Amino acid sequence: MAIQNSVLIVSSILILTVILGLLIAVLVNRTFPGRGIVRVLLISPFFVMPAVNAVLWINMILDPVLGLNGLAVSGLNELVAGLRDFPVIGGFFAMWPELHPISFRATQTSAYAVIMMVTWQWTPFAVLIFMTSLQSEDESQKEAAMLDGANAWSQFINLTVPHLARPIAIVVMIQSIFHLSLYAEIEIVSRGNGNKNLPYLIGEFTSNNIGAASATGIFAVILANVVAIFLLRMVGKSLMD
Amino acid sequence: MASVTIRDVKKSYGGQQVMHGIDLDVNEGEFVVFVGPSGCGKSTLLRMIAGLEETSSGEILIGDKVVNNVAPAKRGVAMVFQSYALYPHMTVFNNMAFGLKQTKTAPDEIDRRVREAAEVLQITDYLDRSPRNLSGGQRQRVAIGRAIVRDPEVFLFDEPLSNLDAALRVQTRLEIARLHERLQSTMIYVTHDQVEAMTLADKIVVLRDGRIEQVGSPIDLYERPASMFVAGFIGSPKMNFFTSAELVVNAIKKLAAVAVVANIGIRPEHLTASTEKGALIGGTLDLVEQLGEYALVHLNTAAGVPFIAKMEKPPEVTKGAQMWFTANPSLVHFFAQESGLRINT
Amino acid sequence: MAAVAQTSKLGKVLWPVLAWTIALIFFFPIFWLVFTSFKTDADAVKPEYLFFFTPTLENYTNMTENYDYWRFAINSVITSTFATGFALIVGVPAAYAMAFDPSRHTKDILVWMLSTKMLPAAAVLYPMTFLTKNLLGLFDTHFLVIMVLCLINLPIVIWMLFTYFKEIPKDIIEAGKMDGVSTWGEIKDILIPLAWGGIASTALLTFIFCWNEAYWTVRLTTIDAATLSKLIEGNRAPEGLFFGRLSAVSTAAVAPIVVLGWFCQKQLVQGLTFGAVK
Repeated sequence: MAIQNSVLIVSSILILTVILGLLIAVLVNRTFPGRGIVRVLLISPFFVMPAVNAVLWINMILDPVLGLNGLAVSGLNELVAGLRDFPVIGGFFAMWPELHPISFRATQTSAYAVIMMVTWQWTPFAVLIFMTSLQSEDESQKEAAMLDGANAWSQFINLTVPHLARPIAIVVMIQSIFHLSLYAEIEIVSRGNGNKNLPYLIGEFTSNNIGAASATGIFAVILANVVAIFLLRMVGKSLMD
Repeated sequence: MASVTIRDVKKSYGGQQVMHGIDLDVNEGEFVVFVGPSGCGKSTLLRMIAGLEETSSGEILIGDKVVNNVAPAKRGVAMVFQSYALYPHMTVFNNMAFGLKQTKTAPDEIDRRVREAAEVLQITDYLDRSPRNLSGGQRQRVAIGRAIVRDPEVFLFDEPLSNLDAALRVQTRLEIARLHERLQSTMIYVTHDQVEAMTLADKIVVLRDGRIEQVGSPIDLYERPASMFVAGFIGSPKMNFFTSAELVVNAIKKLAAVAVVANIGIRPEHLTASTEKGALIGGTLDLVEQLGEYALVHLNTAAGVPFIAKMEKPPEVTKGAQMWFTANPSLVHFFAQESGLRINT
Repeated sequence: MAAVAQTSKLGKVLWPVLAWTIALIFFFPIFWLVFTSFKTDADAVKPEYLFFFTPTLENYTNMTENYDYWRFAINSVITSTFATGFALIVGVPAAYAMAFDPSRHTKDILVWMLSTKMLPAAAVLYPMTFLTKNLLGLFDTHFLVIMVLCLINLPIVIWMLFTYFKEIPKDIIEAGKMDGVSTWGEIKDILIPLAWGGIASTALLTFIFCWNEAYWTVRLTTIDAATLSKLIEGNRAPEGLFFGRLSAVSTAAVAPIVVLGWFCQKQLVQGLTFGAVK
């Protein structure tokens, strides 16, 4: 269960950050007014302490009652309730059910909360790397493609994406290294509910069952090494030479 | 100035032997060029003399001292690298002075020697610049200057001209020759370019697959190559090789009897046009490269083997025409078919 | 390229607007954090004061006066700085040896070192606390925090330095050898000046990681060596009480690093990708 959760969380984060990162990098990789400021704003989440990140999201944004999540939903409900009194469209809005804010403290939803906050924090990382890489793209290649009559989309698929293969590999590798030992976010978000990943499971054992903690710990060490070998054999090569 | 003696030197990398027992004498004041295709071990040998590569077995002597276990800087050698390897964060002056500073030479002495070397190389104006603001040729001079100031017993050059453009290469080649004349020191020079080897060397060492193929003066190598490999490597365009079957029927009679079972080598510049009767070899014209001073005529023998003749004037025939050539028998080389070694004395 | 590539007028307006929107969405949580830090704890949870409220510095004065913010902040600065410094002192020679005199197992060692980063810290929490508390008596000392931060970041430090050093042409190091420079001179006069940019970005990134570290700093300290992570941990009340106070503390903990990050974006990309993306 904990392992499953570990895998779910890490892989979702990887997929989301790479896709979002790619889109945003391409978007920002043009000149437009205020580009410098946009970059600064985009990169900021990456520097936020993981502990603050978790507190910020779970308490102030996603909290079903007091966070922005709760406030927004109740605001929406009020709005709908208000609209019901209008003559014509009121009938339409009367059919709307009352919305309930999603609680991100339940087992499954709290995993989503973790995915959300870590994605928020690490997408800037992906953006930054993809952007740097985009700037080193060979313009003459693109020009050759244009002369061959390739349109923007086919240029993106045939030239830009292969060019980004290496940075994508690096983003995946570095993030895996950091997220496999993800702890602070899980701890803060899921205290007491069933949403555990492997590190957290060990942490829990530590407080009541040293033997089990050690056993799980050794298992985690082995798992980390297996993943490391697998990952670095694949990606590490490109870093080495 | 010192001699360099290499005795049965071998080198292996992780179980793979790359140098197979090299023996070589470099005399005092001699300009020796190591030449060979890439991967032949010429750079490795040079770096072993410099002390940048360990010697697996055998001895390297500089002067009469075995230097196998002596640190590079203590061997009395200076090296000019292919990439120049200038310290990018130091000025030209400091680049040249760095070695002297390591030996705690007095500052005014350093200053004097650097300026002297800069004078010789005409880089005095650039002494305060950083290498990144210099052209390729200027960097090359600084690299040479860095070697000169240390006043070494032996200069080592590792393909120093290969990063320069063609015109600059010719000019720098001349300057290195002049430098040798002026300093009279022992120089060992590595290149894959046979023209550099021919023009600079007192003695050429041809290497192939970690073995010495031939040692000799440039003219020796040109006139009496010890093997087909050397014959093909020295001289441009390359020597033509034929078997007796490709020659004109009674050509063997005009040459030595041994030619029947040998590979026959004739340099393009030694082929002269002749009548069918007096010819050694015939071929159909394929292409003419006109170079003004001379023309390179590309032909194919009846069996389809391509060869080149160097002629003063381009032939006045069209593609596909039959042409006949002869050569002075003393300028024809014979090589054993199996080993490729020279047969005629 | 720009000569023929045609961007429609709509695109010219749409792209920047889209980019700005996304940037603002990403920045919003941070903005919200700072925004909330100026509300009183009571106001922070009242919907009617969501956007319009009387700003107050109460949280900040409260934080510095009653919660000893400066002590935590100074501890953070001290531990992060020294940990970074030590990591470099160990890392530079190690990476130098690996880059310029590699053995057949150098790559394996690097990979293995990095794999230790994937190890869940919790697995060694018990031995760590047991050793430091009962045996060595180092618990809650600056020394311990510095050592732990230094050690957990060392793999990344060495790997990053390794990749920077590898970019230095071997010829230059060899030229130094020909010039008779000692090993220490090689590091001091050639390696460090040449890899200065790389070393700086390594240092920067290590500093950020140290500053943000929240597992060991929370668990191996109580008061004396406690860093800002500990302060946040201490102010984290369940279920949204004291939002204002929490925001202020968080803002004050995060701000120095975020601002530092803004100024060093370029070096960070280099550092984070181990120089593999240019």
